[in-house]
Amino acid sequence: MSEGYSSKPMQATKIGDRIVRVDAVQKARGEAVYVCDMTLPDMQYAYMVRSTIARGRIKAIHVPELPEGYYFISAKDIPAQGKNELWMIAKDWRCFAEDYVLYVGETIGLVVGPDRGVLKRLKAQIRIDYEEQTPAVTIDDGIHCVGGPMFPEKNSNVMCELFCEKGRPMDEVFAEADEVFEETIETPYQEHVHLETNSAIADMEDGKFVFYASAQCPFYIRKSIAGLLDIPYDDIIVRQCTTGGAFGGKEHFPDVLCGALLVAENKIRKPIKMVFDREEDTQFSVKRHPSKCIYKTAVKDGKITGVYGHIYYNCGAYLSSSYVVLQRGVFHGNGVYTFDNTYLKGEGIGTNMFPSCAFRGFGAPQTLFAIETHLDHLAHHLGVDPLEFKMQYLAKKGDETTTNGHIIEEVKLPEMLDVVTRESDYWRKAKEYKPGCGRGIGIALYNHGGAFTGNGEQAIIKAHARLVKTGDRVSIQVGSTEMGQGFKTSLRKICAATLGVSIDRIEYLDPDTSKVVDSGPTAASRSTMIVGRLVERAAQEMKERWSEGDFTTEVEYEHPDGYPWDQATFRGDAYLGYGWGVACVEVEVDKLTNEVKTLGAWSSHEIGKAIDELIVHGQINGGILQSLGYGSMEKLEVKGGRFKQKSMSDYVIPTSMDFPKQFYHIQENPYPWGPYGAKGMGELVFNGASAAYVDAVERALNTRFTSIPIPPEAIEEAMKHVH
Amino acid sequence: MEQVKCFIPETLEEALRIRRETGATVLAGGSDLMVANSMGAGVTPAFKGDVLIITNLKELKGIRALPDGSVEIGACTTSAEIARSPIAPELLKDAASRMGAIALRNSATIGGNIGNASPKGDMPQPLILMDAEVVLTSVDGERRMLVDDYIIATKKTALREDEIITKVIIPKPDFTHIFFRKIGMRRANAISKLTLSAAATVRDGVVVDFRASSGAAGPKVARSRKAEELLIGKKVSELHTCKEEFLDAWNTVISPHAMPEYRRNTTRRMLAFFIDALEAGHAPGRVDIQE
Repeated sequence: MSEGYSSKPMQATKIGDRIVRVDAVQKARGEAVYVCDMTLPDMQYAYMVRSTIARGRIKAIHVPELPEGYYFISAKDIPAQGKNELWMIAKDWRCFAEDYVLYVGETIGLVVGPDRGVLKRLKAQIRIDYEEQTPAVTIDDGIHCVGGPMFPEKNSNVMCELFCEKGRPMDEVFAEADEVFEETIETPYQEHVHLETNSAIADMEDGKFVFYASAQCPFYIRKSIAGLLDIPYDDIIVRQCTTGGAFGGKEHFPDVLCGALLVAENKIRKPIKMVFDREEDTQFSVKRHPSKCIYKTAVKDGKITGVYGHIYYNCGAYLSSSYVVLQRGVFHGNGVYTFDNTYLKGEGIGTNMFPSCAFRGFGAPQTLFAIETHLDHLAHHLGVDPLEFKMQYLAKKGDETTTNGHIIEEVKLPEMLDVVTRESDYWRKAKEYKPGCGRGIGIALYNHGGAFTGNGEQAIIKAHARLVKTGDRVSIQVGSTEMGQGFKTSLRKICAATLGVSIDRIEYLDPDTSKVVDSGPTAASRSTMIVGRLVERAAQEMKERWSEGDFTTEVEYEHPDGYPWDQATFRGDAYLGYGWGVACVEVEVDKLTNEVKTLGAWSSHEIGKAIDELIVHGQINGGILQSLGYGSMEKLEVKGGRFKQKSMSDYVIPTSMDFPKQFYHIQENPYPWGPYGAKGMGELVFNGASAAYVDAVERALNTRFTSIPIPPEAIEEAMKHVH
Repeated sequence: MEQVKCFIPETLEEALRIRRETGATVLAGGSDLMVANSMGAGVTPAFKGDVLIITNLKELKGIRALPDGSVEIGACTTSAEIARSPIAPELLKDAASRMGAIALRNSATIGGNIGNASPKGDMPQPLILMDAEVVLTSVDGERRMLVDDYIIATKKTALREDEIITKVIIPKPDFTHIFFRKIGMRRANAISKLTLSAAATVRDGVVVDFRASSGAAGPKVARSRKAEELLIGKKVSELHTCKEEFLDAWNTVISPHAMPEYRRNTTRRMLAFFIDALEAGHAPGRVDIQE
């Protein structure tokens, strides 16, 4: 513990204090207990038996004779009153595939028993006969209904769609334009690579089903799986365990493990543990949606008069969270700019791929990469510096958004650009590094709407928070989870600072759905902004009544008046507060090997207020690194509906050797409805560095890219078309 | 379920006897074999036959200089030990220091890296360039052969059923110029996409020795003495006259399947750069782009 970072025992904690993360020592020492570390008496183990084809009919399942105490669990084990469906946003995701399969890796059954070696061998002996059909794998396959439409009733593979428009009709704007600059920009799959793989244990306790899960949203699990047995939510208890990273990969996906385990537990009634191997986690879990964005930008007298975007996301075989991801993609499809006329249309395309789901940024990184890269290319086309070009259009307070709402807050991008361009020496370098000289500097601007869209926090989530005072100690009882992002520290700090006591007096345990109130999912960068605010309010009330002895305070989310949203038409104020970001990257390209060396990375983020600067710094470093990996090296290829990369040695994420120490700046701009002025920030920091990186490499080589990642092979290819 | 036996001998003599009697698979570090036979977390790896673990045999550890200036490295010497050795040749240290992550370098051995015979293996590439030899020992005695002859193809070697790789012997290198690059999917902890070593000895303006070897370039490390001879004996000032012929010859040595366009072009650019540097009178030592 280094000096100056320790909490002062029993002294009141202040928001500005630099403290050690409450879970740091335990995790660094390896003392934290993860699901895979837990062993209950008479522990049984489970492995998934999955589809090996992308689309087809199951003709027969041949299960070998099972030794005593070993089971094969499948859809047949769902009781008559239950339904073979997991309830995420829709109820389309089947817990166990029967009759037909829709993607490689779809769960068909579980093998369950006491010895993992025996189970692996049994699993290898299970033979499934299929009648194979032609799968639709890519977005284009889906658009063209390759292999026949997935939704025959509408003769289409479109799973979800929306549009929003602002200003005049686009055909008028195009007709008046000097030119319409059109591009198609594509982004790839991305794997979360949370250090801890997906894992869960099912057990029985006093007639109730108990789950120990590595998960972001314990209440989601309960809701999603109860219908399998047609039992009340309260008959299921979910206990979140130390979660070693998630990034969205454990938002809905734990339902898939827990649902199958629930059906097995209902039959076997012994503790059953399922831990994915890394190869399973890489090949058979949800991913970031690949995208294809067609942008057409009208230019008149050198100025943008309108932007049209047609955005496709590859949703895979089931909806999971795709409709919401797509909405966020569309709402961020305009970047941080105000254009007079916009039309943005999104279509979520069903394919025979593993369902895509939440991943840090939740749909925004794809369109933000596309619009930033598109505007860079347009600026080069017009012969102006991309940043100078973009600065003409920066959104300001009061501007009308693409959803016909307004920017509610002051936009501090000009101040942030001052810091980043000064620290990086952007303006000098942008002029001095001639296109193609081997060195380049790039810059990107981005934002991220905090929390659920529109009035979703009030209409859908209805989050609660509860504080329980016992003597001079206070327990926070919320369903929000620590997954490595630092929320236990942030939330305890908010509570302690509001009460005026030491953080050591505040307890915040991993949530148990039978003991805490539902504060909504740990997602959407909403935890600090929404749940933090609820805890602040509950603590304010507790402070006023402090002398009353032992008591409880509980509060419910209240949406501020005057910010309308219509979820049916997607019109109104989509977000009450955005986080804003600027990232700048400088690179040098090795002329022998096309390897890119990143010389510098600078960023500024406006997040309202940093509740804990060390945690925010960690999020910035990590988010930018993850974004740079997305833009440069993270390659998840698909062949015949299968992911080609299987492990951490062929799906590579950056190490600290790949990118340099970063300069970071935090811009304050207190948000009136957040705790101490804080807004969301966990996803924001992912949203832009990839575009800055690609911009830098393009300038270094005087070439253009319309897809990521850009490993040396892609650079080799692009160098054939130097501008 | 088949049971396999696992032997952990304490002396080389015992190891050789077990190897003769059982033909057990030799495990020297395990960083390849434990992955290849893994059954996943919590399950015993499923080796197809008996296993002979020699990782900790003291007789097979260490690096020493021999009287004739060559360097002898025990087969169970780890990559980390080689990377920090003051007497191991530079090109081998380059390769050893870029293998995997620190934990892997602390367990992977030079004998294992050669015995595994993966075309992407890091150390065989510079070893083949340096005409290094392996010593193969059985209860009947020793035989020596070039690493280049020992590795026949992917996972195929000249090792006999009763032999163990015990040593690697590297002749004293007297190169005036060397070049080494490993290109992986990232800068550290990466499997090679391609590697290249090149070395030359220039005396009185004449190239008296020239060698190159490409890793991850086909079923085994690519080296071509025929191509190298196109440059040997030439004055450095006339290298440009035979450079293209050499590069074309090298291009036929590397496999089109293993080396698609980017890897092929990069190999060509690196070799051209090295040859140009020799012609330009580059000072003796390591040749690379100036940072």
